[in-house]
Amino acid sequence: MVTGDRAALGVVGAGSFGTALAALVGRAGHQVVLWSTTPEVVEEVNREHTNRGRLGDVVLPDAVRATSDPAELAERARLVVMAVSSVEARDRARALGAVVDGRHMLVHAIGALAGPDVARLSQVLHEETPARRLGALAGPALPADLVGGRFAAMVCASPFDEVTREARRLLNLPPAIRLYTSRDLPGVELAASLSGAYTIAFGMADALGMGPGPRAVLVSRVVAEGQRLVAAIGGEARTFTGLAGLGNLLVRTSPGPDDRASGYQFGRALAQSEASGGPPPGGDGEREPEAVRAARVGVRLARRLGQRAPVLDAVARVIDGHARPTQAAAALSDTVAMAE
Amino acid sequence: MTRPRPVAEAENRLVRFNGERDAILSLVTRRVTDSHLAAAERSPDASIEYVLNDVAYSEIQRHERDSSPSGRRGAGRWRDLAGRLGRMNEVEKRGELERLVAHYARDIVGNFNPRVYRFANDVMPPALSILFTPMSSLRHGLGALDSMSRRIRVEGELDAVRTACDRGTLIVTPTHSSNMDSVVIGLGLKLALLPPVTYGAGKNLFSNPFISYFMHNLGAYRVDRRLRFGLYKDVLKEYSTVLLEQGYHSLFFPGGTRCRSNVIESHLKLGLLGTGVAAYRNSVVAGAGHRRIYVVPATINYRLVLEAETLIEDYLAETGKSRYIIEDDEFSRLGRIVEFVRKILVHEGAVTIRFGRPLDPFGNGVDDAGESVDRHGRRIDPATYLADAAGKLDADHQREAVYTRELGDALSDGFRRETVFMSTHLVSRAVFDAVVERTRQSDIYRLLRLPESAVVVGRDDVCRRVEELRRRIAAAPEWGRVEERVAVMSAPELLDDALRALTTYHTHPVLEPAGERIQIGAMKLCYYYRNRTAHIPDEADAADRSAARW
Repeated sequence: MVTGDRAALGVVGAGSFGTALAALVGRAGHQVVLWSTTPEVVEEVNREHTNRGRLGDVVLPDAVRATSDPAELAERARLVVMAVSSVEARDRARALGAVVDGRHMLVHAIGALAGPDVARLSQVLHEETPARRLGALAGPALPADLVGGRFAAMVCASPFDEVTREARRLLNLPPAIRLYTSRDLPGVELAASLSGAYTIAFGMADALGMGPGPRAVLVSRVVAEGQRLVAAIGGEARTFTGLAGLGNLLVRTSPGPDDRASGYQFGRALAQSEASGGPPPGGDGEREPEAVRAARVGVRLARRLGQRAPVLDAVARVIDGHARPTQAAAALSDTVAMAE
Repeated sequence: MTRPRPVAEAENRLVRFNGERDAILSLVTRRVTDSHLAAAERSPDASIEYVLNDVAYSEIQRHERDSSPSGRRGAGRWRDLAGRLGRMNEVEKRGELERLVAHYARDIVGNFNPRVYRFANDVMPPALSILFTPMSSLRHGLGALDSMSRRIRVEGELDAVRTACDRGTLIVTPTHSSNMDSVVIGLGLKLALLPPVTYGAGKNLFSNPFISYFMHNLGAYRVDRRLRFGLYKDVLKEYSTVLLEQGYHSLFFPGGTRCRSNVIESHLKLGLLGTGVAAYRNSVVAGAGHRRIYVVPATINYRLVLEAETLIEDYLAETGKSRYIIEDDEFSRLGRIVEFVRKILVHEGAVTIRFGRPLDPFGNGVDDAGESVDRHGRRIDPATYLADAAGKLDADHQREAVYTRELGDALSDGFRRETVFMSTHLVSRAVFDAVVERTRQSDIYRLLRLPESAVVVGRDDVCRRVEELRRRIAAAPEWGRVEERVAVMSAPELLDDALRALTTYHTHPVLEPAGERIQIGAMKLCYYYRNRTAHIPDEADAADRSAARW
């Protein structure tokens, strides 16, 4: 295994975020090995230095090499960033588990929960691999910002200081990206997941035309609720107001590309379907957005922890068909005010 | 049942302890001194003067609380040191540091006397066995040792533990709910044909001359809880580390002091547990990575707990304080041992000690050959966890602290999985649940105020609930298992077995049969015995397993 400064950054998943991160790190002069399970993508990255399906005409530096063999990734890299969807996270982690060992540091960049048992991704990595030095990357770093060299920031959370040190060595590349650090791994993972869930509420609120005043109230109530939940699982409340929570929430509820898989657009579609009398989104075998699953588990978590979560409750009631968006909004505005 | 397997004399590594004692003391002294000198070089905040001043300040405070002439003399000596510190040069400070480290190491170190060990090994158990034996069978005299194994049952992953014992050094980590735990685990190790272990015991336990004699000569080391400064803790941890490195099997109670509530411990004290990683790291750095350290979760499961009444009172009054060294162990009072033997151990199936599969110091399981494996059974080289970002082996205390926390989590899971539920636990849970359901109150303080008429439940209802509980436990091995003896009983038989114990031993009957109904006589104790199952969620909560992962 290559170690020290010669070690490459490993990236699992040649999606838009993984490829953009690889491009950024490669441009900074570090070697990157990108593991994709799609042979055509591997071929394209290695031969043409592009990944057009994900990043258009962006040219990847020579330092980025793709592979379909996870053993090559494990041999060349010590820090590995997993950037795949939560749906395939467990399978990819299992395959990775066969080739990594206790020396590897695994950091995921998945702002969601995995599988039917809605585990935190670090738990999945713990279960599927022998690696113990685990962490998470989260924050409002969009692929377009990364490849465009615009200012971006993320947080790397791990209970192991050496993981965040190594992540900073490879990924802290100002001014393109600043990497903050935290030891609050569960807090960052939950904050990232919850922020996705809350985007549904903002999508509904905006489609209902709630206006800036009620929207500001919603922001502050979401922050309070997110902090309560993060603290209740043993994380630090302030983690929710950082890059992984509030940062993520703001970027995902800002004007941007019309991503139907986003929680924000899903929320908009819910409210619009009520107004138009059309069918709610999510039909026709469409894959459920990560945000929907995050909202459901958030509600269950809140109940188990004995925490009030009126915003998540309202979102879950709408997505499960127990309330219409206008009813949920009315119920939220009726919520009894308590000590802040 | 344990199968016959001779334990070779060589496996009792404590027999060589006295020969290595001076070398161990010397190594501990050198390492602690060197680490403080190195820290002082790295940072002015860790200067030797600060370290010595911290010791002197703490010792002055301690002696000032003692108004006797010796206390005053002691305080004077430490004041003298504090006064001289400012005038000492670096060589003198270094000498003083070394002297203090050696002093505390000598205060801690244990001893092993083979003759005392043989006496304790060959004579004590039959003697205890007589105490365990009801009067009617006393005619069997010293041959009654066999009867002990019916009262203290030893089970679990014994072959895996023995393999680990042959291959490396064990850290036995039992749950802790009774004052008799250290006696019982000692007997349990013997019944399991495992070698004796060393452990840290509160210095106050050495005040009883009889007990002190045995403890001092059987390898126990002294822990002075009054000494709370960093240097003493460093010496204590280094002593434990060196013992493990040298192959001396050790015992820690990671739950701290006795668990007042009787729930399976989950908030573990990790101080000494962390010496397992440190010892393994030292072995790897020395090129001896094959010398493994194994952490063995063990549960001590009592059908009845001698001091249940005071423990639960303590818990409810929130007076329990957490400590990780045995300090208040009443086995130093011989009368309590006799009481324990005559009142608790007379019952068949009184105690079950269950040993879990060993873990490595990083919380991984091990296979039958003692090799670390991940959750898919793939072998792992544990030394790979100790390499830094450049691939070099190093001592990273922050990294090792996280590993130890994860080991603590794995131990907590192990404790739950290896819990053995006795009839008293199952019936108390069933009765408690019935009352909670009927009164719609789950708060113990409210339940304690319920009128007598509200705490009566039907036998049939209890039997139905016990049956259901057994079914759910069988389907979820991560929660534990039902004691083999009662697993084969019908629900009514199990209920009667529990009632025999719960109506006769405690000052007030915990449960009282009244025809087809059962009256709770002591809600606190019912709650106490029920708490052993507290990690088993209600049926409704159990369905939502996802949230439990968080």
